[in-house]
Amino acid sequence: MQYWINHKGVQSGPVDLDALKQMGLTSAAYVWHEGLSDWVSITQVPELEGMYEAVEGNPSGAVMGQPYQPQPQPASQPAPQQPQYAEQPVQPEPCPPTNLVWAIISTVLCCIPTGIVAIFYALKVSNKYREGDIEGAKRASEVGAWWCIATIILGIICQPFLSMLTMSLGH
Amino acid sequence: MRRSLIIILVVAALLVFGVIYYAIDPSTSTVLPRCTFLSLTGYKCPGCGSQRAIHALMHGDVVGAFKFNALLLIAIPWIALCLYGETQRTRNPRLYARINAPMLMWLFLVLTVLWWLLRNIFNW
Repeated sequence: MQYWINHKGVQSGPVDLDALKQMGLTSAAYVWHEGLSDWVSITQVPELEGMYEAVEGNPSGAVMGQPYQPQPQPASQPAPQQPQYAEQPVQPEPCPPTNLVWAIISTVLCCIPTGIVAIFYALKVSNKYREGDIEGAKRASEVGAWWCIATIILGIICQPFLSMLTMSLGH
Repeated sequence: MRRSLIIILVVAALLVFGVIYYAIDPSTSTVLPRCTFLSLTGYKCPGCGSQRAIHALMHGDVVGAFKFNALLLIAIPWIALCLYGETQRTRNPRLYARINAPMLMWLFLVLTVLWWLLRNIFNW
């Protein structure tokens, strides 16, 4: 007889009686074998008596509420391949935009020193991101973006008019 | 959608400004704006001379560009690196974090403030 096991939320199988004995199961495990309509607690399978360690309390609810029909596969069939994404190195959550490009551009081109404030906000984003404060980094990123926009509007769009104004004032 | 719109706008602006700054020499022009900060305070800002520097660069005069605004010449490769970083932000967060390291930002800030002070002291 082949058994499928669900122990602490981890599913395994098919295994035979000898292998099952070696698995160190507890009374929290669930078992399914051909002929059963659903998973049952290991304690309800008479032939498995004594092959698990009795633990106090309710068996884990891992399979409760999700009636699951295992698809028994012939033992000879190769195990299904792990999904591809599981093999890729885990990427950290990306840093929110620091807007550093815009901060530098607005500092160097816009002639209005508020670009420096934008660089300070880029610093804040980067520092908060390093501390793991993603939310704080996002907030700083937004404020910094507004400083960049303000600098570029003042510098590129308003500058010609400001320039004319100051010239006409006699400077 | 929003991203491609921004790229189109930036490229269009670059083309327009490119033609203007190639054709007009800011040193002699009265059309191009003068720095408001300079007009108001009498002190140069970190960006003063950028128009002349861009004009010089477009005509192949790197030394002249450096004299007009050294910070601009330092900033150009930096901007290129940061733009490359932006394309990698979600794809390669570690690289993005390295390009946007606080140390590098501090370096740029210090260079900017130094440049700002020194050019006003020595009239660069």
